[in-house]
Amino acid sequence: MSVASLVSLTVNGQMRTVAVQPGTTLQRVLRDDLGLTGTKNGCEIGDCGACTVIMDGRPVTACLVLAAEAAGSEITTIEGLAQHGELHPLQKSFIKHGAMQCGFCTPGMILGAKVLIDRNPDPTRAEILTALGGNLCRCGSYTRIIRAVQGWKEFSDVGLDTAPRGDDERDQVRDLSVVSHGVTRYDAPDKVTGRAKYTADFQLPGMVYGKILRSPIPHGIILRIDTRRARELPGVLAVITGADVPETRYGVSPARYDEHVLAKERVRYVGDEVAAVAALDEATAERALDLIDVEYEALPAVFDPAAAVQPGAPLVHPENPRYANNINTRVEWDFGDVEQGFAAADHIREQRFVGNRPYQNPIEPHAAIARWEHHGERLTVWSSTQTPHYLQHMISRVFDIPMGNIRVIRPAVGGGFGGKAETTPLELCSVILARMTGRPVMMQYSREEMYYHFRGRHKLYMDLKIGVKRDGTITAVQSRVYLDGGAYTSFGVITAYYAGAMLPTLYKFPNYKYDGCRVYTNLPASGAMRGHGVPQPRFAFESLLDMIAEDLGLDPFEIRLRNAMEPNTRTCNGLDISSCEFTATLERARDESDWRNKKGRLPPGRGIGVGCGGFVSGAGYPIYRSEFPHSNAIIRVHEDGRAVSLHILASEIGQGSDTVLAQIAAEELGIPYDCVWVVECDSVLSPLDLGSYSSRVTLMAGNAVRMAAADVKAKLLAVVARQLDRDPAGLEVADGRIFVPGDPATAVGWDEAARTAFGQSGPLVGTGYYSPPEALGGGFKGSTVGTSPAYSFSTAVCEVSVDLETGYVRVERFVDFSDAGTVVNPVTFHGQVEGGIIMGLGETLLEDTVIGPNGVITNPDLHGYLVPTIGDAPEIRSAAVESYEPRGPFGAKEIGEGCLLPVLGAIGNAIYDACGVRVTELPITPERILLGLKNRKA
Amino acid sequence: MRIPDFAYHRPATLAEACNLGRTYGDQARFLAGGTEVLVDLRQKRCVPEHVIALGSVPDLNHIRADEDLLRIGSMVKLEEIAESAAVKRFFPALCEAVVHIGSVQIRSRATIGGNFCGAVPCADTPPVCIAGDAALRLVGVDGERTLPAQEFFQAPRQSVLDPDELLVEILLPRQPESSGVSYQRFSLRSGSALAVASVAARIVLEGPSIAAATVVLGAVAPIPLPALQCARLLEGQRPSAELFSSAAERAAAEAQPISDIRGSEAFRRELVQVLTSRSLREATARAGGGVQ
Repeated sequence: MSVASLVSLTVNGQMRTVAVQPGTTLQRVLRDDLGLTGTKNGCEIGDCGACTVIMDGRPVTACLVLAAEAAGSEITTIEGLAQHGELHPLQKSFIKHGAMQCGFCTPGMILGAKVLIDRNPDPTRAEILTALGGNLCRCGSYTRIIRAVQGWKEFSDVGLDTAPRGDDERDQVRDLSVVSHGVTRYDAPDKVTGRAKYTADFQLPGMVYGKILRSPIPHGIILRIDTRRARELPGVLAVITGADVPETRYGVSPARYDEHVLAKERVRYVGDEVAAVAALDEATAERALDLIDVEYEALPAVFDPAAAVQPGAPLVHPENPRYANNINTRVEWDFGDVEQGFAAADHIREQRFVGNRPYQNPIEPHAAIARWEHHGERLTVWSSTQTPHYLQHMISRVFDIPMGNIRVIRPAVGGGFGGKAETTPLELCSVILARMTGRPVMMQYSREEMYYHFRGRHKLYMDLKIGVKRDGTITAVQSRVYLDGGAYTSFGVITAYYAGAMLPTLYKFPNYKYDGCRVYTNLPASGAMRGHGVPQPRFAFESLLDMIAEDLGLDPFEIRLRNAMEPNTRTCNGLDISSCEFTATLERARDESDWRNKKGRLPPGRGIGVGCGGFVSGAGYPIYRSEFPHSNAIIRVHEDGRAVSLHILASEIGQGSDTVLAQIAAEELGIPYDCVWVVECDSVLSPLDLGSYSSRVTLMAGNAVRMAAADVKAKLLAVVARQLDRDPAGLEVADGRIFVPGDPATAVGWDEAARTAFGQSGPLVGTGYYSPPEALGGGFKGSTVGTSPAYSFSTAVCEVSVDLETGYVRVERFVDFSDAGTVVNPVTFHGQVEGGIIMGLGETLLEDTVIGPNGVITNPDLHGYLVPTIGDAPEIRSAAVESYEPRGPFGAKEIGEGCLLPVLGAIGNAIYDACGVRVTELPITPERILLGLKNRKA
Repeated sequence: MRIPDFAYHRPATLAEACNLGRTYGDQARFLAGGTEVLVDLRQKRCVPEHVIALGSVPDLNHIRADEDLLRIGSMVKLEEIAESAAVKRFFPALCEAVVHIGSVQIRSRATIGGNFCGAVPCADTPPVCIAGDAALRLVGVDGERTLPAQEFFQAPRQSVLDPDELLVEILLPRQPESSGVSYQRFSLRSGSALAVASVAARIVLEGPSIAAATVVLGAVAPIPLPALQCARLLEGQRPSAELFSSAAERAAAEAQPISDIRGSEAFRRELVQVLTSRSLREATARAGGGVQ
């Protein structure tokens, strides 16, 4: 029916003519036909703004423009912004302000800003918010983006370097040359020009496309699948079902591998994977899915954990007796003597809290490409994964291929937040389909499929009880938590433990009882999301602490200071806190926020609240047992001694790890930051690293990198020592020179020494590795979860305005002080804190994946599921307190997840201060606030 | 997400467009800015065999104001309305309503005609246009008709348009002396979010009293809903906090909201009350009156 036609349009100044189908969008033309992959694909329905281009002087979302409608128009994409090799001032400004993290929204953001400043070179803040309101940044770089747009003119006539833009972001004093300086992000130039390639941007020769068919019912038996019509559709190359996938189950925790690549017999949620297709193009693959006939026997389903544990409830995994009553994981911890602790309390308060179902929603959809190499049994997989090693391990396990035969490449990743930390059916199906077709197979999720794959935050039902002395000293804590796990385990075993393990890390209490119960339901599986398992219990704890403080007439800071964790403490559940400046974060946040003048003194509808949090700097134990160090690095010095390459499998997912690791390498080597190349993340090029989860990279990969650099340095110093006839111990390295302190005449250039070394004994290479200290944890069941070499601590103070008539909450301001040890890079550090605050704000006030009738998601998109826009971003003052972690590289520890944890409680407490309504169920919607206001009146 | 196959037509005249509409009937969908049609296509909410693009039809892109009438062509983009000095002068409340719709990217493509013809209950331009006594000019194969804007809507996503008919113009009369219009809406996020409830109000003063009042509710009924009892309660009265409060209560009672993910029925009624009260105050102030 449809007929191809020719469309001519001017793209970046060049007339281009392409053949299009009626339904072809401008987005597809730019990406697929013209290879301009800086135009991103995030949602395809105009909600996210990642595909923003300039069309005849106006910003448009290219996904909502038919190519035919763009005929004759003038289009500017991000690739057309730089002129004659010179970046546009906006691009420079974005680089220098660190106004991007994962970079996926950056091209659209910059183009939106370009239209604005072309019309109005001096936009007000309000004008910027209006202009960029349709460009979602899930990393939450909004505050930096606003500054970058406001300050663009500063970069009109200046060249670009990587030096810090200013010293204003340095909170700590360190006698270091590279570490602790806000050098520009390593990946920034690629991300502002559209050059950064994400998995879906690759077009391999001969590549074909795969899609997955999903179950339309929440629970049932597959009686019959007929794929004949699909296979006969022209352009279809392969169709697979559960019969074609290995018997081996996969998952995250070895104790609970419970997923097949495709359902073998039973479907357990709406969205469960049933079949997959490879075809010449994505449209044909999707069409083929409609031609697969599946006959189901529908079974009763269960959507609520409380109902799921009742006798007689439908069983989600009936084949496995271990999951009787749908209980997936049960934790029963009892530390100290809780009964005695409550008996000793002067005041006890208990409260039920109910969480929500936030979804990570990275703007980049998950994508994978598999290619068999026709070289024995070798396989290459490109994936938007946070954890290349675990992916390699899982492919090896599921398909019984040696890990050494599997190459995993992680291109740029457009945000993960935990949602890309596990192996997906995309990767596994693409491996099978690539084998069957003999061609590279690309698969990616649509936004809707992302929601059904889910692995978002568990919805928690929490009963929390705290007992205190009159002065606020906590005597006992009891927590009972039900976690809605969905149909599979994913990270859920660990989530169930984290939800209990982390409460004792912030405040000292001797008696603690935790009952956790993760329950299977016929819903998409919940998994690990930023702050893994902790934000909702932390929200409950921080809320209840404020309620108790009010009961006792104590200031919220007073009760927190009274119980605050101290350095070198073993918690009641056996976690070893090393460095800890929690008290300093409390005191400084209190003073900086002008708490004393504001608390209880703001006009009606305005409020201030405090919340605290903290997190592990990397999990103390790997997900599956292995003898390998957790992080490993290789540094190779280039022949001319002017550069080094850093080989590491740590995963830059936007948090800035490439930058931070390059800084650590440069600092230890004694060379400038600009001399470090970070090699593409590729398991053939770099040794094992467990990846980006549990906030482990700065500390663990950082230690491995530092050790590799020290190894290089030692070899280099040995060469110079021989040359100068000196003791290597008497030599120092700094600023690209090796010298004897106090004897400048003896200095040898770093590069010269490196050339000498290369000449004498070939490649100059250093290696390093890191494993956490052995035997962390208390040795009881589940005691490994929550262990870490180090912990972060944060205090956030939030100010809100509440519309007392509608319940609408505007978060006006955040003041955040964090103890993250040494801040390796102030720009990426503050980027993480600001982003964590904005993400936390979203899940506190806006976000919930709503489950409709029969297990169907009501809002699997970015207009029903609202994430914060640039206009929702509060003013943020973030700072680091003075702190040094002996186990971290140059004293550093984590920031990426800990920074989110104080946010929920701080907002909830500020809302209470503003209007007297304590909302104990997330998200805190206007409707819930209004209901609270009515109840108060009544 | 595949866009289903369709045949693409791009008529060069209004007559040709109408004829195509008649020929293909239910099988066709008109395409203006595309910000709604493309989403519907992707989400398979509608699967037309023919898409009739209106981009080449002349005389649908004007904003013209004369002494008594503002004429806005149906293909005028929302962003153009937001920027239009003529609209700002003649009927500023429309500019205020328009800037809430989607993002600047959406407003750069979406048209005012599309905002009407989509007939989505939470659309932002219809309530304010209805409050301003707008009329709509429709052209079909058999001729044209002009009808009051409030008569255009029949049900969610359903208008009075016949398959061969197009909305070509929105006509806004000069607003009466001593009148003021206000548009108030509530959404869950600062921007790019659909209205949970909205209220457009026009107050015409005669001396100290309200000579005429129009209150139109959005997103709380299957179609934009004139709150007639509320208006009647206001007419002939002097503006006062008490009056507005009871009028707002009446409007809330007149609303016919549903519960969905954006808000429950009860919450929407509360919002209608608050927004009605706020819009009446602002409209009165704009009409040059005060509230006792």
